[in-house]
Amino acid sequence: MSDKQRVRGRILPREKGAAPLDVVIAVMAFLAALALGASLLADRQAESWREGLAGRLTVQILQPEHPTSSRNLDTETEAALQILRGTHGILTVTPMSDADATKLVEPWLGADAMVKDLPLPRLIDATIVPGEHVDFAQLTTRLQTVAPDSNVDDHTRWISRLQNLANTIIYAAYAILALIAVATAAAVAFATRAGLEAHHDIVALLHQMGAHSGFIARAFEWHYLLSTLAASAVGAGLAAIAFLAAGGLEFAGVEPVPFLPPLGLNPQELVWLLAVPLVSAIIAWATARLSVLAVLREIY
Amino acid sequence: MIRFENVGMRYGPGPEVLRDVTFQLEPGTFTFLTGPSGAGKSTLLKLLYLAEAPSRGLITLFGTDLATARRSAFPALRRRIGVVFQDFRLLSHLSAFDNVALPLRLAGRKTDDYIRDVEELLNWVGLGDRMNAKPPTLSGGEQQRVAIARAVVGQPDLLLADEPTGNVDPEIAQRLIRLFGELNRLGTTVLIATHDRGLIERSRSREMRLVDGRLVELRRG
Repeated sequence: MSDKQRVRGRILPREKGAAPLDVVIAVMAFLAALALGASLLADRQAESWREGLAGRLTVQILQPEHPTSSRNLDTETEAALQILRGTHGILTVTPMSDADATKLVEPWLGADAMVKDLPLPRLIDATIVPGEHVDFAQLTTRLQTVAPDSNVDDHTRWISRLQNLANTIIYAAYAILALIAVATAAAVAFATRAGLEAHHDIVALLHQMGAHSGFIARAFEWHYLLSTLAASAVGAGLAAIAFLAAGGLEFAGVEPVPFLPPLGLNPQELVWLLAVPLVSAIIAWATARLSVLAVLREIY
Repeated sequence: MIRFENVGMRYGPGPEVLRDVTFQLEPGTFTFLTGPSGAGKSTLLKLLYLAEAPSRGLITLFGTDLATARRSAFPALRRRIGVVFQDFRLLSHLSAFDNVALPLRLAGRKTDDYIRDVEELLNWVGLGDRMNAKPPTLSGGEQQRVAIARAVVGQPDLLLADEPTGNVDPEIAQRLIRLFGELNRLGTTVLIATHDRGLIERSRSREMRLVDGRLVELRRG
Protein backbone atom coordinates (compact mmCIF):
# COMPACT_ATOMS: atom_id res chain seq x y z
CA MET A 1 0.00 0.00 0.00
CA SER A 2 1.41 3.39 -0.96
CA ASP A 3 1.68 6.35 1.42
CA LYS A 4 -1.03 8.19 -0.45
CA GLN A 5 -3.46 5.32 -0.07
CA ARG A 6 -3.12 5.22 3.72
CA VAL A 7 -5.96 7.35 5.07
CA ARG A 8 -6.14 8.04 8.77
CA GLY A 9 -9.27 6.66 10.38
CA ARG A 10 -11.48 9.00 12.40
CA ILE A 11 -10.74 8.94 16.11
CA LEU A 12 -14.48 8.71 16.78
CA PRO A 13 -16.60 6.31 14.75
CA ARG A 14 -19.38 7.82 12.67
CA GLU A 15 -22.41 8.37 14.87
CA LYS A 16 -25.34 6.12 14.37
CA GLY A 17 -28.73 6.88 15.91
CA ALA A 18 -28.11 10.63 16.03
CA ALA A 19 -31.04 11.26 13.66
CA PRO A 20 -33.43 12.34 16.47
CA LEU A 21 -31.00 15.13 17.44
CA ASP A 22 -30.76 16.24 13.80
CA VAL A 23 -34.56 16.38 13.59
CA VAL A 24 -34.79 18.42 16.82
CA ILE A 25 -32.10 20.83 15.55
CA ALA A 26 -33.78 21.16 12.14
CA VAL A 27 -37.14 21.98 13.79
CA MET A 28 -35.45 24.47 16.16
CA ALA A 29 -33.69 26.12 13.22
CA PHE A 30 -36.99 26.30 11.30
CA LEU A 31 -38.69 28.04 14.24
CA ALA A 32 -35.68 30.30 14.79
CA ALA A 33 -35.69 31.31 11.11
CA LEU A 34 -39.44 32.03 11.31
CA ALA A 35 -38.89 34.21 14.40
CA LEU A 36 -35.97 36.00 12.76
CA GLY A 37 -38.03 36.51 9.58
CA ALA A 38 -40.92 37.89 11.66
CA SER A 39 -38.60 40.39 13.33
CA LEU A 40 -37.28 41.49 9.92
CA LEU A 41 -40.82 41.85 8.57
CA ALA A 42 -41.89 43.86 11.63
CA ASP A 43 -38.87 46.12 11.29
CA ARG A 44 -39.45 46.66 7.58
CA GLN A 45 -43.17 47.33 8.16
CA ALA A 46 -42.47 49.82 10.97
CA GLU A 47 -40.09 51.62 8.63
CA SER A 48 -42.66 51.77 5.84
CA TRP A 49 -45.30 53.06 8.27
CA ARG A 50 -42.92 55.75 9.44
CA GLU A 51 -42.07 56.70 5.86
CA GLY A 52 -45.72 56.67 4.84
CA LEU A 53 -47.06 58.77 7.67
CA ALA A 54 -44.21 60.96 8.81
CA GLY A 55 -44.15 64.40 7.21
CA ARG A 56 -47.88 64.33 6.54
CA LEU A 57 -50.91 65.70 8.25
CA THR A 58 -54.61 65.14 7.74
CA VAL A 59 -57.28 67.74 8.44
CA GLN A 60 -60.68 66.35 9.21
CA ILE A 61 -63.78 68.54 8.97
CA LEU A 62 -66.72 66.80 10.58
CA GLN A 63 -70.32 67.01 9.44
CA PRO A 64 -72.52 69.16 11.74
CA GLU A 65 -74.26 67.05 14.39
CA HIS A 66 -77.67 68.51 13.51
CA PRO A 67 -78.67 68.17 9.90
CA THR A 68 -80.57 71.44 10.24
CA SER A 69 -77.38 73.36 10.95
CA SER A 70 -76.68 76.26 8.63
CA ARG A 71 -73.02 75.28 8.25
CA ASN A 72 -71.79 74.54 4.76
CA LEU A 73 -69.04 71.89 4.57
CA ASP A 74 -67.94 72.98 1.09
CA THR A 75 -67.36 76.55 2.27
CA GLU A 76 -65.58 75.36 5.42
CA THR A 77 -63.36 73.02 3.41
CA GLU A 78 -62.45 75.74 0.94
CA ALA A 79 -61.57 78.15 3.77
CA ALA A 80 -59.47 75.46 5.46
CA LEU A 81 -57.64 74.82 2.18
CA GLN A 82 -56.81 78.52 1.92
CA ILE A 83 -55.42 78.54 5.47
CA LEU A 84 -53.34 75.44 4.83
CA ARG A 85 -51.94 76.76 1.57
CA GLY A 86 -50.92 79.95 3.34
CA THR A 87 -49.25 78.17 6.24
CA HIS A 88 -45.46 78.25 6.34
CA GLY A 89 -43.94 74.77 6.06
CA ILE A 90 -46.82 73.13 4.21
CA LEU A 91 -45.68 71.72 0.87
CA THR A 92 -48.81 70.33 -0.77
CA VAL A 93 -52.48 70.40 0.09
CA THR A 94 -54.86 67.89 -1.46
CA PRO A 95 -58.55 67.68 -0.61
CA MET A 96 -59.98 64.19 -0.76
CA SER A 97 -63.11 63.69 -2.76
CA ASP A 98 -66.20 61.98 -1.33
CA ALA A 99 -65.39 59.00 -3.57
CA ASP A 100 -61.92 58.72 -2.01
CA ALA A 101 -63.38 58.92 1.51
CA THR A 102 -65.92 56.22 0.67
CA LYS A 103 -63.09 54.04 -0.66
CA LEU A 104 -61.26 54.39 2.65
CA VAL A 105 -64.13 52.90 4.65
CA GLU A 106 -64.97 50.31 2.01
CA PRO A 107 -62.77 47.51 3.48
CA TRP A 108 -64.67 47.75 6.78
CA LEU A 109 -68.19 48.68 5.72
CA GLY A 110 -68.47 47.40 2.15
CA ALA A 111 -69.50 49.25 -0.97
CA ASP A 112 -73.23 49.35 -0.29
CA ALA A 113 -75.27 52.32 -1.35
CA MET A 114 -75.93 52.87 2.37
CA VAL A 115 -72.31 53.94 2.89
CA LYS A 116 -72.90 56.92 0.67
CA ASP A 117 -75.54 58.19 3.11
CA LEU A 118 -73.12 58.15 6.02
CA PRO A 119 -72.03 61.56 7.36
CA LEU A 120 -68.43 61.08 6.29
CA PRO A 121 -66.07 63.92 7.23
CA ARG A 122 -64.21 65.96 4.62
CA LEU A 123 -60.53 65.10 4.59
CA ILE A 124 -57.60 67.22 3.49
CA ASP A 125 -54.23 65.58 3.04
CA ALA A 126 -51.19 67.82 3.39
CA THR A 127 -47.47 67.18 3.21
CA ILE A 128 -44.87 69.12 5.17
CA VAL A 129 -41.63 70.47 3.73
CA PRO A 130 -38.94 68.05 4.98
CA GLY A 131 -37.18 69.50 8.01
CA GLU A 132 -39.75 72.27 8.51
CA HIS A 133 -41.63 72.62 11.78
CA VAL A 134 -45.35 73.32 11.73
CA ASP A 135 -47.06 74.59 14.89
CA PHE A 136 -49.99 72.20 15.00
CA ALA A 137 -51.72 73.87 17.99
CA GLN A 138 -51.78 77.23 16.25
CA LEU A 139 -52.86 75.66 12.96
CA THR A 140 -55.71 73.85 14.72
CA THR A 141 -56.91 77.11 16.34
CA ARG A 142 -56.80 78.92 13.00
CA LEU A 143 -58.67 76.12 11.22
CA GLN A 144 -61.34 76.02 13.90
CA THR A 145 -62.14 79.68 13.30
CA VAL A 146 -63.36 78.74 9.79
CA ALA A 147 -64.42 75.14 10.49
CA PRO A 148 -65.49 74.71 14.13
CA ASP A 149 -65.67 70.89 13.99
CA SER A 150 -62.24 70.36 12.46
CA ASN A 151 -59.13 68.73 13.81
CA VAL A 152 -55.55 68.20 12.69
CA ASP A 153 -53.93 64.81 12.90
CA ASP A 154 -50.15 64.72 12.47
CA HIS A 155 -50.21 60.90 12.94
CA THR A 156 -47.63 60.95 15.74
CA ARG A 157 -49.91 59.03 18.07
CA TRP A 158 -50.65 56.46 15.35
CA ILE A 159 -46.99 56.17 14.32
CA SER A 160 -45.90 55.69 17.92
CA ARG A 161 -48.53 52.99 18.49
CA LEU A 162 -47.48 51.18 15.31
CA GLN A 163 -43.85 51.56 16.34
CA ASN A 164 -44.69 50.03 19.74
CA LEU A 165 -46.49 47.17 18.03
CA ALA A 166 -43.53 46.55 15.73
CA ASN A 167 -41.10 46.74 18.64
CA THR A 168 -43.19 44.27 20.62
CA ILE A 169 -43.08 41.82 17.69
CA ILE A 170 -39.32 42.33 17.30
CA TYR A 171 -38.58 41.83 21.03
CA ALA A 172 -40.89 38.80 21.16
CA ALA A 173 -38.97 37.35 18.20
CA TYR A 174 -35.67 37.98 20.00
CA ALA A 175 -37.03 36.28 23.13
CA ILE A 176 -38.08 33.28 21.01
CA LEU A 177 -34.62 33.19 19.40
CA ALA A 178 -33.01 33.22 22.86
CA LEU A 179 -35.27 30.39 24.05
CA ILE A 180 -34.47 28.35 20.93
CA ALA A 181 -30.74 28.97 21.48
CA VAL A 182 -31.03 27.68 25.06
CA ALA A 183 -33.06 24.65 23.92
CA THR A 184 -30.55 23.89 21.14
CA ALA A 185 -27.65 24.13 23.59
CA ALA A 186 -29.48 21.84 26.04
CA ALA A 187 -30.21 19.29 23.29
CA VAL A 188 -26.58 19.28 22.13
CA ALA A 189 -25.29 19.06 25.71
CA PHE A 190 -27.56 16.07 26.30
CA ALA A 191 -26.46 14.43 23.04
CA THR A 192 -22.79 15.09 23.82
CA ARG A 193 -23.14 13.46 27.23
CA ALA A 194 -24.85 10.50 25.59
CA GLY A 195 -22.11 10.39 22.95
CA LEU A 196 -19.41 10.45 25.64
CA GLU A 197 -21.21 7.66 27.44
CA ALA A 198 -21.45 5.60 24.24
CA HIS A 199 -17.76 6.18 23.45
CA HIS A 200 -16.54 6.00 27.02
CA ASP A 201 -14.00 3.30 26.17
CA ILE A 202 -12.47 5.43 23.41
CA VAL A 203 -12.40 8.58 25.55
CA ALA A 204 -10.87 6.68 28.50
CA LEU A 205 -8.21 5.14 26.25
CA LEU A 206 -7.28 8.45 24.60
CA HIS A 207 -7.12 10.07 28.02
CA GLN A 208 -4.98 7.21 29.24
CA MET A 209 -2.60 7.54 26.33
CA GLY A 210 -1.97 11.17 27.20
CA ALA A 211 -4.37 12.93 24.83
CA HIS A 212 -5.03 16.48 25.96
CA SER A 213 -8.62 17.28 26.86
CA GLY A 214 -8.68 19.68 23.92
CA PHE A 215 -7.77 16.87 21.49
CA ILE A 216 -10.62 14.68 22.73
CA ALA A 217 -13.03 17.64 22.83
CA ARG A 218 -12.14 18.48 19.22
CA ALA A 219 -13.20 15.03 18.03
CA PHE A 220 -16.65 15.63 19.55
CA GLU A 221 -17.10 19.32 18.84
CA TRP A 222 -16.39 18.91 15.10
CA HIS A 223 -18.91 16.12 14.89
CA TYR A 224 -21.65 18.22 16.54
CA LEU A 225 -20.66 21.39 14.68
CA LEU A 226 -20.99 19.70 11.28
CA SER A 227 -24.17 17.75 12.04
CA THR A 228 -25.82 20.87 13.56
CA LEU A 229 -24.74 22.96 10.59
CA ALA A 230 -26.35 20.47 8.19
CA ALA A 231 -29.55 19.98 10.23
CA SER A 232 -30.08 23.68 10.92
CA ALA A 233 -29.40 24.54 7.27
CA VAL A 234 -32.29 22.22 6.35
CA GLY A 235 -34.55 23.90 8.96
CA ALA A 236 -33.61 27.44 7.91
CA GLY A 237 -33.92 26.42 4.25
CA LEU A 238 -37.49 25.22 4.82
CA ALA A 239 -38.31 28.51 6.55
CA ALA A 240 -36.81 30.42 3.60
CA ILE A 241 -39.03 28.37 1.24
CA ALA A 242 -42.05 29.25 3.43
CA PHE A 243 -41.23 32.97 3.21
CA LEU A 244 -40.64 32.72 -0.54
CA ALA A 245 -43.98 30.91 -0.94
CA ALA A 246 -45.73 33.67 1.04
CA GLY A 247 -44.03 36.25 -1.21
CA GLY A 248 -45.08 34.26 -4.27
CA LEU A 249 -48.71 34.21 -3.13
CA GLU A 250 -48.66 37.99 -2.70
CA PHE A 251 -47.05 38.36 -6.12
CA ALA A 252 -49.91 36.29 -7.54
CA GLY A 253 -52.37 38.70 -5.90
CA VAL A 254 -53.43 36.44 -3.04
CA GLU A 255 -53.59 38.23 0.31
CA PRO A 256 -52.61 35.54 2.88
CA VAL A 257 -53.94 37.45 5.91
CA PRO A 258 -56.17 40.53 5.43
CA PHE A 259 -54.84 43.81 6.94
CA LEU A 260 -51.45 42.23 7.82
CA PRO A 261 -48.31 43.47 6.10
CA PRO A 262 -46.81 41.31 3.31
CA LEU A 263 -45.26 38.10 4.68
CA GLY A 264 -42.68 37.59 1.93
CA LEU A 265 -39.02 38.37 2.64
CA ASN A 266 -36.91 40.14 0.03
CA PRO A 267 -33.53 38.62 -1.03
CA GLN A 268 -31.47 40.83 1.31
CA GLU A 269 -33.65 39.75 4.23
CA LEU A 270 -33.42 36.09 3.21
CA VAL A 271 -29.62 36.34 3.50
CA TRP A 272 -30.11 37.06 7.21
CA LEU A 273 -31.59 33.55 7.60
CA LEU A 274 -28.08 32.19 6.93
CA ALA A 275 -27.27 33.42 10.43
CA VAL A 276 -29.50 30.66 11.87
CA PRO A 277 -27.34 27.65 10.84
CA LEU A 278 -24.14 29.59 11.53
CA VAL A 279 -25.18 30.62 15.05
CA SER A 280 -26.68 27.14 15.72
CA ALA A 281 -23.39 25.51 14.70
CA ILE A 282 -21.41 27.84 16.96
CA ILE A 283 -23.78 27.10 19.87
CA ALA A 284 -23.42 23.34 19.23
CA TRP A 285 -19.64 23.61 18.95
CA ALA A 286 -19.30 25.55 22.19
CA THR A 287 -21.80 23.35 24.06
CA ALA A 288 -20.14 20.12 22.92
CA ARG A 289 -16.70 21.41 23.86
CA LEU A 290 -17.77 22.60 27.31
CA SER A 291 -19.67 19.34 27.96
CA VAL A 292 -16.69 17.16 27.01
CA LEU A 293 -14.23 19.24 29.03
CA ALA A 294 -16.58 19.10 32.04
CA VAL A 295 -16.78 15.29 31.81
CA LEU A 296 -13.00 14.92 31.33
CA ARG A 297 -12.35 17.05 34.42
CA GLU A 298 -14.15 14.36 36.43
CA ILE A 299 -11.65 11.69 35.26
CA TYR A 300 -8.34 11.43 37.17
CA MET B 1 13.11 7.24 38.00
CA ILE B 2 9.93 5.75 39.50
CA ARG B 3 9.42 5.53 43.23
CA PHE B 4 6.57 4.28 45.43
CA GLU B 5 6.73 5.14 49.13
CA ASN B 6 4.25 3.50 51.54
CA VAL B 7 1.57 3.53 48.89
CA GLY B 8 -1.85 2.28 49.92
CA MET B 9 -4.88 1.92 47.68
CA ARG B 10 -8.52 1.15 48.36
CA TYR B 11 -11.54 1.50 46.07
CA GLY B 12 -14.21 3.51 47.87
CA PRO B 13 -14.92 2.25 51.36
CA GLY B 14 -13.61 -1.26 50.55
CA PRO B 15 -10.54 -2.97 52.03
CA GLU B 16 -7.03 -1.91 51.01
CA VAL B 17 -5.96 -3.59 47.78
CA LEU B 18 -2.36 -2.39 48.14
CA ARG B 19 -0.67 -1.88 51.51
CA ASP B 20 2.51 0.03 52.25
CA VAL B 21 3.98 -0.68 48.84
CA THR B 22 7.49 0.72 48.57
CA PHE B 23 9.82 0.15 45.62
CA GLN B 24 11.96 1.92 43.09
CA LEU B 25 12.45 1.35 39.34
CA GLU B 26 15.72 2.71 38.04
CA PRO B 27 15.74 3.95 34.42
CA GLY B 28 16.43 1.25 31.87
CA THR B 29 15.65 -1.69 34.17
CA PHE B 30 13.57 -4.78 33.34
CA THR B 31 11.27 -6.05 36.09
CA PHE B 32 8.65 -8.79 36.39
CA LEU B 33 5.67 -8.30 38.68
CA THR B 34 4.12 -11.56 39.80
CA GLY B 35 1.53 -12.70 42.27
CA PRO B 36 -1.73 -14.63 42.43
CA SER B 37 -4.90 -13.28 40.89
CA GLY B 38 -6.42 -10.55 43.05
CA ALA B 39 -3.10 -9.72 44.70
CA GLY B 40 -3.24 -6.17 43.33
CA LYS B 41 -1.01 -6.39 40.22
CA SER B 42 -3.48 -4.57 37.96
CA THR B 43 -4.09 -1.91 40.61
CA LEU B 44 -0.35 -1.31 40.93
CA LEU B 45 -0.13 -0.90 37.14
CA LYS B 46 -3.11 1.49 37.18
CA LEU B 47 -1.29 3.68 39.70
CA LEU B 48 1.78 3.60 37.45
CA TYR B 49 -0.07 4.59 34.30
CA LEU B 50 -2.03 7.30 36.13
CA ALA B 51 -5.47 5.75 35.84
CA GLU B 52 -6.00 5.93 39.60
CA ALA B 53 -4.75 8.09 42.44
CA PRO B 54 -3.36 6.33 45.54
CA SER B 55 -5.33 6.48 48.78
CA ARG B 56 -2.12 7.23 50.65
CA GLY B 57 1.61 7.30 50.16
CA LEU B 58 3.83 9.04 47.62
CA ILE B 59 4.40 8.21 43.96
CA THR B 60 7.20 9.85 42.01
CA LEU B 61 7.13 9.37 38.24
CA PHE B 62 10.05 10.54 36.09
CA GLY B 63 11.07 12.76 38.99
CA THR B 64 7.59 14.30 39.34
CA ASP B 65 5.78 13.98 42.66
CA LEU B 66 2.23 13.12 41.59
CA ALA B 67 0.71 14.46 44.81
CA THR B 68 1.93 17.98 44.12
CA ALA B 69 1.98 17.93 40.30
CA ARG B 70 -0.58 19.97 38.40
CA ARG B 71 -3.22 17.94 36.55
CA SER B 72 -2.24 19.72 33.35
CA ALA B 73 1.16 17.97 33.58
CA PHE B 74 -0.41 14.49 33.52
CA PRO B 75 -1.00 14.13 29.73
CA ALA B 76 2.71 14.71 29.07
CA LEU B 77 3.61 12.12 31.75
CA ARG B 78 1.11 9.64 30.30
CA ARG B 79 2.60 10.02 26.82
CA ARG B 80 5.93 8.79 28.21
CA ILE B 81 4.27 5.51 29.24
CA GLY B 82 3.33 2.65 26.94
CA VAL B 83 0.73 0.25 28.29
CA VAL B 84 -0.28 -3.22 27.12
CA PHE B 85 -3.68 -3.71 28.72
CA GLN B 86 -4.82 -7.18 29.65
CA ASP B 87 -8.04 -6.61 27.65
CA PHE B 88 -6.00 -4.93 24.82
CA ARG B 89 -8.38 -1.90 24.57
CA LEU B 90 -8.08 -1.56 20.81
CA LEU B 91 -10.39 0.84 19.00
CA SER B 92 -12.65 -1.47 17.04
CA HIS B 93 -13.49 1.06 14.32
CA LEU B 94 -9.82 1.66 13.47
CA SER B 95 -7.53 -0.61 11.44
CA ALA B 96 -4.57 -2.40 13.05
CA PHE B 97 -2.33 0.23 11.44
CA ASP B 98 -4.36 3.15 12.87
CA ASN B 99 -4.50 1.53 16.30
CA VAL B 100 -0.73 1.19 16.40
CA ALA B 101 -0.26 4.73 15.07
CA LEU B 102 -2.55 6.24 17.70
CA PRO B 103 0.19 7.27 20.20
CA LEU B 104 2.07 8.97 17.36
CA ARG B 105 -1.05 10.84 16.27
CA LEU B 106 -1.57 11.98 19.85
CA ALA B 107 2.03 13.19 19.87
CA GLY B 108 1.13 15.34 16.86
CA ARG B 109 3.17 13.45 14.24
CA LYS B 110 2.08 13.42 10.60
CA THR B 111 1.17 10.20 8.76
CA ASP B 112 4.05 10.52 6.26
CA ASP B 113 6.40 10.85 9.19
CA TYR B 114 5.49 7.57 10.92
CA ILE B 115 4.06 5.31 8.21
CA ARG B 116 7.34 3.35 7.72
CA ASP B 117 7.90 2.88 11.47
CA VAL B 118 4.39 1.55 12.01
CA GLU B 119 4.53 -0.81 9.02
CA GLU B 120 7.93 -2.11 10.10
CA LEU B 121 6.71 -2.74 13.62
CA LEU B 122 3.58 -4.54 12.41
CA ASN B 123 5.80 -6.71 10.20
CA TRP B 124 8.00 -7.47 13.22
CA VAL B 125 5.05 -8.68 15.30
CA GLY B 126 3.91 -10.81 12.35
CA LEU B 127 0.94 -8.72 11.26
CA GLY B 128 2.35 -7.32 8.02
CA ASP B 129 -0.54 -8.77 6.04
CA ARG B 130 -3.21 -7.71 8.57
CA MET B 131 -2.51 -3.96 8.72
CA ASN B 132 -5.89 -2.93 7.39
CA ALA B 133 -7.88 -5.47 9.40
CA LYS B 134 -10.17 -4.15 12.14
CA PRO B 135 -9.71 -5.66 15.62
CA PRO B 136 -13.02 -7.59 15.62
CA THR B 137 -11.71 -9.61 12.66
CA LEU B 138 -8.39 -10.42 14.40
CA SER B 139 -7.79 -13.41 16.66
CA GLY B 140 -7.02 -12.89 20.38
CA GLY B 141 -3.31 -13.37 19.78
CA GLU B 142 -3.30 -10.95 16.84
CA GLN B 143 -5.14 -8.34 18.90
CA GLN B 144 -2.58 -8.76 21.65
CA ARG B 145 0.26 -8.17 19.21
CA VAL B 146 -1.45 -5.01 17.91
CA ALA B 147 -1.80 -3.84 21.53
CA ILE B 148 1.90 -4.50 22.13
CA ALA B 149 2.93 -2.73 18.94
CA ARG B 150 0.83 0.27 20.01
CA ALA B 151 2.50 0.33 23.42
CA VAL B 152 6.05 0.27 22.05
CA VAL B 153 5.72 2.32 18.84
CA GLY B 154 6.49 5.64 20.53
CA GLN B 155 9.57 4.21 22.30
CA PRO B 156 8.16 5.15 25.72
CA ASP B 157 10.31 5.82 28.79
CA LEU B 158 8.25 3.28 30.73
CA LEU B 159 6.55 0.19 29.31
CA LEU B 160 3.90 -1.51 31.42
CA ALA B 161 2.41 -4.80 30.27
CA ASP B 162 -0.36 -6.78 31.94
CA GLU B 163 -0.05 -10.49 30.95
CA PRO B 164 1.33 -9.60 27.49
CA THR B 165 1.93 -13.20 26.43
CA GLY B 166 -1.30 -14.68 27.74
CA ASN B 167 -2.92 -15.26 24.34
CA VAL B 168 0.00 -16.16 22.08
CA ASP B 169 1.89 -19.38 21.40
CA PRO B 170 5.36 -19.86 22.98
CA GLU B 171 7.19 -18.93 19.79
CA ILE B 172 5.40 -15.59 19.44
CA ALA B 173 5.75 -15.04 23.21
CA GLN B 174 9.54 -15.33 22.90
CA ARG B 175 9.51 -12.96 19.96
CA LEU B 176 7.50 -10.40 21.95
CA ILE B 177 9.79 -10.70 24.96
CA ARG B 178 12.73 -10.09 22.62
CA LEU B 179 10.92 -6.96 21.42
CA PHE B 180 10.58 -5.76 25.01
CA GLY B 181 14.26 -6.59 25.54
CA GLU B 182 15.24 -4.53 22.48
CA LEU B 183 13.24 -1.60 23.77
CA ASN B 184 14.81 -2.03 27.21
CA ARG B 185 18.28 -1.95 25.68
CA LEU B 186 17.33 1.35 24.02
CA GLY B 187 16.64 2.76 27.49
CA THR B 188 12.99 2.00 28.22
CA THR B 189 12.15 0.90 31.76
CA VAL B 190 10.02 -2.25 31.47
CA LEU B 191 7.62 -3.69 34.03
CA ILE B 192 5.73 -6.84 33.06
CA ALA B 193 2.96 -8.34 35.17
CA THR B 194 2.72 -12.05 34.40
CA HIS B 195 1.86 -15.51 35.68
CA ASP B 196 4.18 -17.15 33.12
CA ARG B 197 6.90 -18.79 35.29
CA GLY B 198 8.72 -20.07 32.19
CA LEU B 199 9.11 -16.52 30.95
CA ILE B 200 10.50 -15.35 34.29
CA GLU B 201 12.84 -18.33 34.70
CA ARG B 202 14.36 -17.80 31.26
CA SER B 203 15.19 -14.25 32.19
CA ARG B 204 17.60 -13.04 34.82
CA SER B 205 15.57 -9.92 35.46
CA ARG B 206 14.34 -8.61 38.76
CA GLU B 207 11.11 -10.08 40.12
CA MET B 208 8.72 -8.37 42.53
CA ARG B 209 5.85 -10.39 43.96
CA LEU B 210 2.57 -9.06 45.33
CA VAL B 211 0.90 -11.10 48.03
CA ASP B 212 -2.29 -9.82 49.62
CA GLY B 213 -1.50 -6.29 48.55
CA ARG B 214 2.03 -6.32 50.00
CA LEU B 215 5.15 -6.27 47.87
CA VAL B 216 7.88 -8.84 48.33
CA GLU B 217 11.22 -8.58 46.52
CA LEU B 218 12.01 -12.09 45.22
CA ARG B 219 14.97 -11.55 42.99
CA ARG B 220 17.20 -8.57 42.22
CA GLY B 221 18.02 -8.39 38.52
